[in-house]
Amino acid sequence: MSAFTEYLITGIARGLVFALLATGFVLIYRVTRVVNFAQGAFAVFGGLLTFSLLRAGIPQGVSEVLAVLAVAVIGLIFGVITIAGKIPLLSSLIITIGLAMLSEAVAMLVWGSIPISYSGLAGHDFVILGAVVQRQYLLVLIVSLVLFGSMALLFDRTYFGKAMTACASNAYAAKLSGINVKRMGLLAFVLGGALGGIGGALLTPVEPMTYNADVSLSILGFAAAIVGGLTSPGLAVAGGLVFGLTEQFVSGYWSPSYDTAVALALLIVVLLWQARRMRLEGLE
Amino acid sequence: MSERMRSSIVLSLAVVIGLSTLALPLVLSSSDVEIYVTIGLATIVVTGLSLLMGFAGQVSLGQAAFYGVGAYTAGIMAVHHWPSLVALMAAPIAAGVIAFVIGVPLLRLKGHALVFSTLAFQLILLVVIENTSFLTGGAIGLSGIPALRIGPLAISTGKDYAYLVWVVAVAVLLITRNLTRSRPGRALRAMAITASGASAAGIAVESYKLKDFTLSAAYAGIAGGIYVFFIGYISPDAFPVTLSIEFVIMVVVGGIGTVSGAFVGAAVVTVISQVLTSLGTSPSLPPDLPTVLSLGVYALILIIILRLIPAGVVGTLSDLWKKTKPSASASGPVDTTGRSVLGPAVQAKDG
Amino acid sequence: MRLPAVADVPSREEVVPDDALLATYDLVVRYSSAVALDGVSMHVGGGEMVALIGPNGAGKSTLLNTLSGILRPAAGGMVCRGRLAHVPEGRQLFPELTVEDNLRLGAYRGGSRDPDPIYELFPQLHGLRKRRAGGLSGGEQQMVSIGRALMANPDIMAVDELSQGLAPIVVSDIIRHLVVLNEEKGIAVLLVEQNARLALSITSRAYVLENGRVSKEGRSEDLARDPAVHKAYLGGQVGQ
Repeated sequence: MSAFTEYLITGIARGLVFALLATGFVLIYRVTRVVNFAQGAFAVFGGLLTFSLLRAGIPQGVSEVLAVLAVAVIGLIFGVITIAGKIPLLSSLIITIGLAMLSEAVAMLVWGSIPISYSGLAGHDFVILGAVVQRQYLLVLIVSLVLFGSMALLFDRTYFGKAMTACASNAYAAKLSGINVKRMGLLAFVLGGALGGIGGALLTPVEPMTYNADVSLSILGFAAAIVGGLTSPGLAVAGGLVFGLTEQFVSGYWSPSYDTAVALALLIVVLLWQARRMRLEGLE
Repeated sequence: MSERMRSSIVLSLAVVIGLSTLALPLVLSSSDVEIYVTIGLATIVVTGLSLLMGFAGQVSLGQAAFYGVGAYTAGIMAVHHWPSLVALMAAPIAAGVIAFVIGVPLLRLKGHALVFSTLAFQLILLVVIENTSFLTGGAIGLSGIPALRIGPLAISTGKDYAYLVWVVAVAVLLITRNLTRSRPGRALRAMAITASGASAAGIAVESYKLKDFTLSAAYAGIAGGIYVFFIGYISPDAFPVTLSIEFVIMVVVGGIGTVSGAFVGAAVVTVISQVLTSLGTSPSLPPDLPTVLSLGVYALILIIILRLIPAGVVGTLSDLWKKTKPSASASGPVDTTGRSVLGPAVQAKDG
Repeated sequence: MRLPAVADVPSREEVVPDDALLATYDLVVRYSSAVALDGVSMHVGGGEMVALIGPNGAGKSTLLNTLSGILRPAAGGMVCRGRLAHVPEGRQLFPELTVEDNLRLGAYRGGSRDPDPIYELFPQLHGLRKRRAGGLSGGEQQMVSIGRALMANPDIMAVDELSQGLAPIVVSDIIRHLVVLNEEKGIAVLLVEQNARLALSITSRAYVLENGRVSKEGRSEDLARDPAVHKAYLGGQVGQ
């Protein structure tokens, strides 16, 4: 097996995880224009809650679903705290930073600071082009594709999705048209919470979860989402793959110490490129 | 209350606070002096960040990175036998130069993009520090930093540092106050309040932002320089992302864009964190508790302040103070959230 | 429909004329402590075209936003006996969405989402229906904005600063459409305009709003001849 294929396959697998984390960012941003820094915390809760439910004897599958529903409720609470009432956008962003810290405190209090994990999809690892891949990644692939597909359908094909987009596009005009902008925003947080929870529940078997994993999960999810300007589910998949592959190739061909640093530098480059594109298109 | 009475009250308050600040190190225990120095250092950093947040309407989540640049610059130079005063002076210059260089591209970003890119910058810096052991000592850290000497004067005891920190802090506060009252300062404030007005002013605004960013980094740099001489040892662990968030919390607590708020925010948050640490570290309690407490309380402070008193402690007090004025000046901006210096909320247009 | 109101003087509701489709009585709206509307009483009858003129900052847009339920009155109240659609100042489209999606969202409160009637009214929008609304010209955007309001199947349209930033020829074209809608479909129009000459020339009645109060009201042709109105709003104006 060549090193190249191993990096390629692992990079794609990790990229899909980033893309999955990006879905929540896209959904919440598209409706509220809030970049939810606590998006990674949803994933942490998804993983940790699934772990506890499994330990309590609840069967696999049911545990994941219950955990995701619980995280959706957490999403609603976070949404109320972040956007209810009249509040400047940047204040909302800073509040989500506070919510991320609060989540770390709660997660540490309940689950401690030792990484936890549980077994994912049963069965042997499988081999693609000579590279060994955990079976769980197959689940990640399927779920990501389904979620991205449904989001694209929601936003591009349904009336309700257009109304959701309208909220962030022009909140004033949306209100004039009779759209309840705040309620749509809260709904986005509920769905964003659920998406984050799904990501966490799927990720924990392949990458043990800790109370403070949220910052790196948030950054990587954001990185993937920003490739599509935080609004395009499809480009977020591409973004996730770019970052996943970059990380793996840097780690493999240069040094594992620099994989995150290069991915973050790439994030800055993408942000600058986006800002330039916005300026050129006069969207600012 | 007459205008003259008001200003004499403000003046005497300032004198009392100033004198007690000067007298405090003489009576404090050595561990309390350490808290005192920490508050002073935080005040210096937070003054710069408050300038950026309040007057340019931008949030940097990488302020601890510039604090780190200052600390490592001074530390490395001191270890390599440069005169310690030169090393200390180099700290703000290095932080300022780096801020200027990265600010040219980064300050084109706004809002969340700037938050994430400054955060990314800090994480990259930490990786670089860890991987340049020959210079920085890597993850193990940099030790054996000699004492600070200013001419014939050896700054060695906690009390010495207490006074040094406060001399610098007062200088920083004065510079910032003069800057914010100058014409560019007022322009920046206008820029923070009307986000869309910023683009109208164009290039001038960009250059103010860059100056602000550079200056706030230089403040963080000198604070880091003093810190490294005071502590005598640094490692990447001293500059975590949570420290950057802590600085933001201090700004929010004190009141975004209020110069005196920098001190109040730094003092309140530092004292709370010290109290929590001493409460949470008892042999009978779980070892995770101090971390849980500090994370949780920081988060709650941040959220509660932003939701309930967005103008911060100083801003709210000074608003109340103004209301006691017989002829309260015309109403504030069209917004019921109080002072929304963070940019306009989505609201109806007025004609 | 009763819109939210804090009725300081509930008996004043009786002042509202029986044939009024939309009316306010003693309406007070505040921003923080500044008063934006200070006791405004006005009404629009069914099928009527009424102008609201006055200087910048007089409270014209505030009045419309209160009528639309975006702002809450501090005192007084309003009555709306039909469906109101608001064509806001500055068009306020959803720039990222297509023309067709913009139109369809106008029917969010209910009714048909079929935009064909709008394309019949403004045929040139049909060719643009797949285009992003943000990329249209000012006149086209104004048509989409009016079309979106029409999708709500309104009994009355409040049109804010229609002529702003548009070439005179475009303005007169759109105004012609408004007049046709009024005459053929019986849709009442409350026209808020800086361009008083234009507003007074096509409406039957008018209110002059100054510093949050109605300073004058009457038949448009009378107001157009009123020396004070003429001096303040018509004298300096060139063109149209």
